[in-house]
Amino acid sequence: MDQQNRISRRQLLTTGGKLAVYGAALGIAPKFIRPARAGAPDALAAGMIGGPTGFDGAERYQYGADTPEGRAIEAAKALKGAGKAPAKIVIGLSDGSIGQLTKPFPAGAPSIKDLWEKETGIPLEIVGLPNGQEFTKTMQDISTKGGAFDIYSVEWNRLGDLAESGGIAKLDDYVAAHKPEWDDPKRGYVDGAKGVALLNQYRGSTYGVSLDGDFQTWVYRTDLFGDAAEQSAFKSKYGYDLAPPKTWKQHADVAAFFQRPDKGLFGCTDLRNQGWGYTNWYQRYTSMASPNQFLFGDDGTPLINSDQGVAATQEYVDSLATHSPDAISWGWSEQYGNFAGGGAAMTCAFSNLPKFLDNAGNTGSKVTGKIGSMLPPGREIDGKLVSRSVLWFSLTGMVSAQSQYPEVAYLLLQWLGSSRIYSWMTANPGGYFDPFSLNDFADPLVRETYHGYHMDIVRETVARTVPTINYPGATAFHNALDENLMAALTGAKTAAQAMADTAAEWKKITRRTGEDKIIDAIKANKAAWPTVLDPV
Amino acid sequence: MTRSLAFMSFRYAAILLAIAIVLVPVLWMASMAFKPIEEWQATGADLTWIPRAPTLDNFRYIFGRSTSDLIVTLDKTALKPILASFLSAGIGTILAMTAGTSAAYGLSRFGSGANLPLALVQLRLFPPMAVMTPVMIMWAFLSFTDSWWGLALVYGIVTLPFAFWLMKTFFDDMPKEIEEAALVEGCSRGRVFLKITLPMMRAPLASAALFVFILNWSDYLIALLLTTKQWVTIPVYMASLSSSMTGQLYGAKAALGLIAAVPPVVLGVLIQRHLVRGLTFGALKQ
Amino acid sequence: MKDESAKLGFRLTLPAQVLVLFISVFPLLMQLYISLTDWSPLSGQSWTQAWTMWNTFANYSDVIHDSRLWAALGRTALIMAVCVPVEFLLGLGLATLFMDDFPGKRVAYSILIMPMMVVPAVAGYMFYMLFQSGGPVNDILSRLLGHPVTLAWLSDPRLALVAVMTADIWQWTPLMFLILLAGLVGVPDDQIKAATLLGAGPVHRFITIVLPRMKAIIGIALAIRVIECFKIFDTLFIMTGGGPGVATETISVYIYKIATQDLIWGYVAAIALVILIVLSIACVWALKRMAK
Repeated sequence: MDQQNRISRRQLLTTGGKLAVYGAALGIAPKFIRPARAGAPDALAAGMIGGPTGFDGAERYQYGADTPEGRAIEAAKALKGAGKAPAKIVIGLSDGSIGQLTKPFPAGAPSIKDLWEKETGIPLEIVGLPNGQEFTKTMQDISTKGGAFDIYSVEWNRLGDLAESGGIAKLDDYVAAHKPEWDDPKRGYVDGAKGVALLNQYRGSTYGVSLDGDFQTWVYRTDLFGDAAEQSAFKSKYGYDLAPPKTWKQHADVAAFFQRPDKGLFGCTDLRNQGWGYTNWYQRYTSMASPNQFLFGDDGTPLINSDQGVAATQEYVDSLATHSPDAISWGWSEQYGNFAGGGAAMTCAFSNLPKFLDNAGNTGSKVTGKIGSMLPPGREIDGKLVSRSVLWFSLTGMVSAQSQYPEVAYLLLQWLGSSRIYSWMTANPGGYFDPFSLNDFADPLVRETYHGYHMDIVRETVARTVPTINYPGATAFHNALDENLMAALTGAKTAAQAMADTAAEWKKITRRTGEDKIIDAIKANKAAWPTVLDPV
Repeated sequence: MTRSLAFMSFRYAAILLAIAIVLVPVLWMASMAFKPIEEWQATGADLTWIPRAPTLDNFRYIFGRSTSDLIVTLDKTALKPILASFLSAGIGTILAMTAGTSAAYGLSRFGSGANLPLALVQLRLFPPMAVMTPVMIMWAFLSFTDSWWGLALVYGIVTLPFAFWLMKTFFDDMPKEIEEAALVEGCSRGRVFLKITLPMMRAPLASAALFVFILNWSDYLIALLLTTKQWVTIPVYMASLSSSMTGQLYGAKAALGLIAAVPPVVLGVLIQRHLVRGLTFGALKQ
Repeated sequence: MKDESAKLGFRLTLPAQVLVLFISVFPLLMQLYISLTDWSPLSGQSWTQAWTMWNTFANYSDVIHDSRLWAALGRTALIMAVCVPVEFLLGLGLATLFMDDFPGKRVAYSILIMPMMVVPAVAGYMFYMLFQSGGPVNDILSRLLGHPVTLAWLSDPRLALVAVMTADIWQWTPLMFLILLAGLVGVPDDQIKAATLLGAGPVHRFITIVLPRMKAIIGIALAIRVIECFKIFDTLFIMTGGGPGVATETISVYIYKIATQDLIWGYVAAIALVILIVLSIACVWALKRMAK
């Protein structure tokens, strides 16, 4: 059945994700299937105490004793030796991510799970959670004292909520003892200590270990933008050259220009559904002032019920015209499928879109070799361009306060989340942990999977990314925003009403959650906002 | 009774129309279950009604025997969730029927438990979502969370009202003379109930049990809240075939949906001859 | 003898009583307790410590002013007001067609009750696909109407409501049909014949003889559907998640959202108790009427 080894476009249209991942694996695999190094394929490079073996370049992911990974393994082994390790570590993980831990990659390599078990002798049990249920299941485990997990993996911005709930362990002591070196200037998080504070900390203490990098990144179709006929048609219509839009105004022009639903082409397909649509609103809103239009003032008052807020919302609503008619009910997989089918000129998505869709092995994708990446559109303010993206979702590992062996659980996270293992893991197309640290952006295997052109843009996008609300009440804040934006999209409310209602709701949530906590968290959150401005 | 030609044609037309409407989603599911992934797409010009290249891959896939390299093998096959659904819905049904029937009999014959009719209606009327928060805490405290017995217990309780009310109407309706005659002949109360009353109630029992089973088997919300990994039921498991990363694995979902329809259908066929009589709720007073 | 009967009756009803108490006593007391506090699992304290967040009746006054809650209730009422009568009329209509034998009756009957056998969650996924703007429903409509129909069912607040109601009607009309058919079949033939001899036409016969005899069973059928429809969740939640926006947010969906995402359990408890009181009053009233 040759059908089985072929990916058709239609299949991608409906299934986007994991199938696409495997499509990507097929495309990439031939490049990696090489004879293992002559001699001892299992041998570690000199000075290394652990890490994957069995494929070319494996030494990049191996570690010596004096590395975060090495220390984690040694400490875990010591704890096991002292009888202070669990019979198994139970980790709750989104279904779609499990593959990166359980599927060997590249050919010849062990799986991450096998490697950990082999090196420490502590088995891992991975419990799949349906996408979207991570937080619900975690909260359930916490509120009912279920104790079913040692490690939760939850969206990044729930860190504040979970820390306040007392359901996740404070990791400061372990961080001090085992030195994860997350702020390493060469291999560590983008932005060093500031990046660590943003991703892993809440009110000055470490509660999580980042396992993802969902910096929303823009892509466009190089074939459409490079087409001479399109270029001249665009120029004669709008009076300037067709190019990846730098401003939201240009973005609207380009999207309108390519909006041809009768020909199966939409201008732009960034998401407009519940729980996702506001990632685009964020980008429009935060770029309304230089260097940033903040969501809250320092005293905790919402700033969205303002001219900026209303204008951004209006723009957001108007942009629906250059989307699919189903946009409001479209999720991520519909978006990817549509883009693979050549159904859109631009979109904004996880950084992994080109990894799946611009892929020689993905014979069904109509856009292979036709994808380009661009910085988020922005606004010209005081002669400079303010362009902002947003960090949204981004799974983060957290240790359950109910875990009997929190230190071992932390050590697993340190091992997973440190640059060597993480780069190796993120290059694996079997799941959706995306690159986020400096080492990932430079790693040849990651760059091969994610494409060099894209990695450079992602890295620049990271520098222009604003964090979403990550203080206590994050979920309630976002739900209030979400509902009102949705009401604006469906015409139930005007942009002004939507912003006024959201602000009123936000005030209530602030009061309910405790103003001091919120004001504190707002300040910490603001410290992580970008300051980069671009020339016009 | 003879029927006019006009009535007959109207009847067939109306029934055919109803059948057509009923069948659209059913056939869509059945066809989806046999479609290869290339044909799942539900939109646009490529819409596939009948599988062009029918395959059993979807069924193989949910039982972990995917032959296709394209789909990652599942970390958990559908076997355990099917077992979980059977155990929780089955035991829950037995619980509800036992407690419900005996209570209905007790009330109908001896006037005991006069509070039950109202209490049970309230119990059923109340949206489960509104009490689930304390139940979750209670279940975790009792270590019932994520177990088939914990789920069976809730199912038994939430469907108890149906078992009770259905059976009560029948007991109320049953002529007392039969039982009384047996009592006079020296049978004990318990023997009368087991040997005379229950056998007479075969039809109502069968249809009530089917109805209760279908309700338990269908549940999504309660299982969603009370299970996490070991004992997730079919509807909850189905959601793991649809994470945003995998996209919606519609074919696999439909295949599982077809399988999930088997037990109610089989039970329905088994008790078909009782069904219509059993569902009169004893409400046809002569 | 009387004593013995009472004992036996007590024993027979005991399991049901225990189960009812088991599921109501603790949850009710806990709900009552935390409904008077701002307790949330996010607060970092066990629920037993909820008294430290005592707010007296603040949650209850919030309930009164919670426009989203009332909107969700109104929406639930609307869905009930449309779905239950439609299901009833369709079920009754179909049932009358099945009163006597005709060729193909068994097959037709078996097909018509199929939706009952489909797990609602599965139906939810199927209807999600059916209602895509380029999906099967629009495909059928396009063929029937002869021009392309591209309604974005699930993205439009009004159409989404129509879509979820359609799914509910599809799923539950068969139950109405079954129950009402059982009722119709049970109406004694001789009475109908007698009426026929007296010269009553079929419609007249139906209204004067059949319907009055079915009063009780119609009452039961409607009661079952009203009760279940009030709690509508599974299919709807999978199709729309209550969206777009809050367009299909019913009372169960609303409580699900605030209980699992906002996690304001104290407030959830207050809502639960208010609903419980209102429903209990309605229930007592309905049972009294039925007893008459």
